[in-house]
Amino acid sequence: MAPESHIMGLFKDEDQVVSALDALKTSPFKFIRVNTPIPSHKIMDALKLKKSKVGWFTLCGGILGFLAGFGLAIFTSTRWDMMVSGKPIVAIIPFVVVGFEATILFAVFGNVIGLLTQMRLPDQSWLQHYDPRCSGEHFGVLAACNAQQEEELKSFFAQRGADVTVFETG
Amino acid sequence: MMMEPNSAPERSPWNTPVFWVFATLFALGAVTFIWGLSSHHPEKTWQTYLINFLLWSAIAQGGLLFSAVMHITKARWSGPLAGLSESFAAFFPLSFILFLLLFTGKMHVFPWLHEDLHGKEVWLNIPFLFTRDGIGLLILYILGFGYLFYALQLKLSNQGPGGRIRQIIFNQQQRKQLSDEKIRQKMTVWGGFYILAFAVVLSLIGFDLVMSMDPHWISTLFGAYHFVKSFFIGLGALIILAAIVQTQQGENTLLTPTHFHDVGKLFFGFCLLWADFFYVQLLVIYYGNIPEETYYIITRTMQAPWNKLAWGVFIVCFVGPFFILLNQKIKTKPLIMAVICSVIIIGMWFEHLLLLGPALSHGSASISLGFSDVVITLGFLGLMVLAIRFFLHIFPELCSVERAKQ
Repeated sequence: MAPESHIMGLFKDEDQVVSALDALKTSPFKFIRVNTPIPSHKIMDALKLKKSKVGWFTLCGGILGFLAGFGLAIFTSTRWDMMVSGKPIVAIIPFVVVGFEATILFAVFGNVIGLLTQMRLPDQSWLQHYDPRCSGEHFGVLAACNAQQEEELKSFFAQRGADVTVFETG
Repeated sequence: MMMEPNSAPERSPWNTPVFWVFATLFALGAVTFIWGLSSHHPEKTWQTYLINFLLWSAIAQGGLLFSAVMHITKARWSGPLAGLSESFAAFFPLSFILFLLLFTGKMHVFPWLHEDLHGKEVWLNIPFLFTRDGIGLLILYILGFGYLFYALQLKLSNQGPGGRIRQIIFNQQQRKQLSDEKIRQKMTVWGGFYILAFAVVLSLIGFDLVMSMDPHWISTLFGAYHFVKSFFIGLGALIILAAIVQTQQGENTLLTPTHFHDVGKLFFGFCLLWADFFYVQLLVIYYGNIPEETYYIITRTMQAPWNKLAWGVFIVCFVGPFFILLNQKIKTKPLIMAVICSVIIIGMWFEHLLLLGPALSHGSASISLGFSDVVITLGFLGLMVLAIRFFLHIFPELCSVERAKQ
């Protein structure tokens, strides 16, 4: 198999990144990733990534917390079933406070668990083929191609207004 | 430079089918209202009038608040929504006239008039009530128009339809030659005071025109509950207006699904805040368990005929929207959001009925709602639509990018 060349186009404008990403889809080059110094909705939309599952973890945590909060309040009340100020033992209105707080708490737990399981850490692969300017003012679009197509890929990025970095084949 | 009216013939807003539909609705509403006053139960007609006055005024006040809040917080996400929200101010003069009209129905509107108020007469008497609320509304509306005056100067272009109001603003702009930065500073001052006045005056209106119907019941949070609710329904009305403008004008507006998503999130947030303000009042009353306070809640949430209405309002205005608006995609669909917001505003009409009805219906065993209530409400809707159309006709920059100064 022919060795792959990794080339990064460094853009200053996110609209240029979006147009480069769209063009990459119909090109023979292999798109690897984008490094951005800031979160960008435009780039996220252009990447058409699969929707994150973290929200489901948060939702499940929230529902579990809601049930757990009410469950805890009801359980502890029935352990010492003495009526106070004429209020019922299982009093829904004040238990909403416990239910609400537990909803938030468990939703946060769910969110953290979701992050830990979904963000694929530890991942060292991004250190390969990385240009430090992507932590400054540049958006880096990394693509790979056959060694023969290297010039073609370089001019692909250059035509779209990028500085080009060629990484040595490791 | 003097502003010349656009040479292209302007289509009159008064000669379109939409105008005639809403003008007819308004006329029917007005006739039904007058007919209701001459019937055997004028108090029911006044009850519907009061509900509608509160609801539609809150929509207008809350609508403009959106623009003021966006400006003060230097928010840029709202884009054309802030401009659209300013069109609700067109209802301010009508709202003030409607408030003055309320005076003629004072005998039917205020059930405490002939009650022993145990010392509260100092606060609850007709001259003082109308004076303070009238002055409060006047201050609120003057501040609103002051903010609008400068907000429009930023958006006005020298091309556009003629008209006296537009001419005055444009001439002022030309005479003073204020820089954009200076205009923004003035907007900050007027907008800041409008936001403060919104909280104070709407609290006052909530205490005087809603809470006082049960003069022996007190909730110190009721004012805050009322103004949070007003912003909530103002946002709902803004989403409906934005959806209509986008449907009519398509790409001619700068409105995008992202705008609807963002304002939908804010709307969702205020749905939660409104429910929270209800709950925190309920919790305190529940724990205090004082008969003077609990009877208000018991009548409305546990006893027939109001208990079913209370559950209906709770489901329509909170439970339903809560689960529906969790979904991100729905918030980006203008038409679906317009339907949801319409249902919530109708729910809020019933929420006003729930707050006012038990006091004004004097122990009635059923909730008597009739065709006339619907027609009077549609009359108010007609008035609001006509006011907004009039405003957007004078200032088309607020809904269209064609003439907007970029």
